[in-house]
Amino acid sequence: MTPMKPLLKSLAIATVILAAAPAGAANLRIGIAEALSGGAAQYGTPIRNGMQLAAEEINAKGGVNGNQLQLVIEDEQGKKEEAINVFKKLIFQDKVLMIFGPTLSNSMFAAGPVANASKVVAFGTSNTANGITDIGPWIFRNSVMESDVLPVTVASAVKHYGIKKVAVIYGNDDAFTKSGYDVFKAVLAEQKIPVTTTETYVKGDVDFKAQLTKIKGGEPDAIVCSCLAEEAANIILQARSLGLRAPFIGGNGFNSPKLFDISKLAGDGTFVGSPWSNANPAPVNQNFVAAYKKKFGAEPNQFAAQGYDAMYTAATALKSIKITDDLAADRQALRDALPKVTLNGATGPFKFRPAAPKAGKPGGFDADQKPFIYIIKGGKFTLYTGK
Amino acid sequence: MAWLSDFWSTYNTLVYSIGVHAMLALSIQITLSCGLLSLANAAFMGIGAYVSALLTLTLGWPFPAVLAAGTLAPALLALLIGAPVLRLSGVYLAMATLAFGEVVRVIVLNLEITGGPEGLNGIPPSTEGWHIALFLALTVYGLVRLARSRVGRAFEAIKEDEVAARLMGMDVDGHKLFAFTLGALIAGLAGALNAHYTFFISPREYGFESAVDILTMAVLGGTSGLLGPILGASLLTVLPEVLRFLQDWRMAVNGAILILVVLFLPTGLWDPHRVRAWLRRKRREEKA
Repeated sequence: MTPMKPLLKSLAIATVILAAAPAGAANLRIGIAEALSGGAAQYGTPIRNGMQLAAEEINAKGGVNGNQLQLVIEDEQGKKEEAINVFKKLIFQDKVLMIFGPTLSNSMFAAGPVANASKVVAFGTSNTANGITDIGPWIFRNSVMESDVLPVTVASAVKHYGIKKVAVIYGNDDAFTKSGYDVFKAVLAEQKIPVTTTETYVKGDVDFKAQLTKIKGGEPDAIVCSCLAEEAANIILQARSLGLRAPFIGGNGFNSPKLFDISKLAGDGTFVGSPWSNANPAPVNQNFVAAYKKKFGAEPNQFAAQGYDAMYTAATALKSIKITDDLAADRQALRDALPKVTLNGATGPFKFRPAAPKAGKPGGFDADQKPFIYIIKGGKFTLYTGK
Repeated sequence: MAWLSDFWSTYNTLVYSIGVHAMLALSIQITLSCGLLSLANAAFMGIGAYVSALLTLTLGWPFPAVLAAGTLAPALLALLIGAPVLRLSGVYLAMATLAFGEVVRVIVLNLEITGGPEGLNGIPPSTEGWHIALFLALTVYGLVRLARSRVGRAFEAIKEDEVAARLMGMDVDGHKLFAFTLGALIAGLAGALNAHYTFFISPREYGFESAVDILTMAVLGGTSGLLGPILGASLLTVLPEVLRFLQDWRMAVNGAILILVVLFLPTGLWDPHRVRAWLRRKRREEKA
């Protein structure tokens, strides 16, 4: 026996221990900053649910390379200062690898720069406003922008109904409905569809008869509506009571099963585009829908599906990197791995698309995904597959 | 040391907010000390925020000039609308100033340059901790001096009995206008500072809800001195963060605490009379 052997042996053991120590004990801390109270909770809560569901599934299957995902969930109330406070708590106090959220685009505009400056990934699943990913290279989102969905929605409706001219109605005091309107306007101009009249309302309005009477006067073939579900239900019902038979074309606010429960058959024939379809028969999606119903006792929606997919996207990126104990290096590695991820999730095939650099500054990453187009039949969302 | 630096990185925005909210509470305390219930301060804050943010974003003015403009613009506007509006008193003044706030909000909502409902984003974080500390200190110092001056005494007299003050030959309208404008000045400065550390502003931050928040801070803290509003602002800003561990119950407990304070300390947290009475009682107990 040569004297070298025991030395080699102990070296080998030491290497094994060193290699095993971080892998065995490490928990991957992931921050979730969503609006869980206040008005935006209707979006934030399903997002959190979708993420919890995905994380539980991943952990049950042995985690990511043997490491368990550990979620640190905080409520940002849909307020910009709360979002900044929560982001800072997650980054500096909880020392998370990355953050999902916040829920509203406004909050992302406030909190995103904090994450970007601290070199931590902020991954939004519900931020559809323009300019979100201009904040910087650490900003990601898997929410499909209106400018990717609405051209397809409008084109499908135009083809289906042979639309020649449309009327437009939108809420002009809400960031979401206003930006949806801007996109509709551009899409209609691009597809050369004349607009008979453009009407507006403000949040909380319940009577739309004046606007709808004007719309009726223009005899449009369809009504384009950039509205939230609350107002949309009244608009649809009042349009029918005025004898306005033209079908509706809706923005993202129409993605609410509740809306067509309220409007009943009045909403039939409406065209809506969505990044997710309940009816998508892909096994991943059907498993997601079944698991969500079982865990939360409620139907999942688009926001839950995007949250669910976001967690799998992050897990895929985490799988491809080697976790060291150097937090800054791990955050950087995760940031570099994320853009390469492709996923076939509940929302269908997904990949990232780098945002165009603005004023020489590198941007973040947007979603590159095809939307699903629905037509409402019998008060239910039905996947539109052409005539 | 590392712990301290992490703590500061986590909570610096919160500390900034305490300072800014304290300035806002003081801005409404000035008008209250002159007997005016004005709810326009949220709108003045918004004007300060928008004017300063626009000057930074579009014209690239240096930060001190931006702050000055954000402070002066609402003060000028207050001077203009003050003369007609301040003829009203009590709830009527509250309603008129509230309506003014709505007008400002709707104008900002419909202008192209303010970004409408989508607001302005990408405002550079120029505000530093010492800016807020300095301006808060200056505000407090100025108000302490003011309270002891002729003008301060006049405010007190107008608040206690307007008719008597007028009969004594005081320029009641002039003093009211001064208090109103000074309130707008401080609120505008607070808005300009706030816009430059939160990266983003939108019209809904300066609406009815925040007008009420500002009033709550002052009333909760106690409006009979300068310490009250500062205490109230600090409590209302810190409480939601401190209660974060309660998770879903957080806002309910937050509300319950506020109700208890109002029930048991109706004159606010800081009431000089109560504190003096308490000190006297303690001294008597010590003697006995």
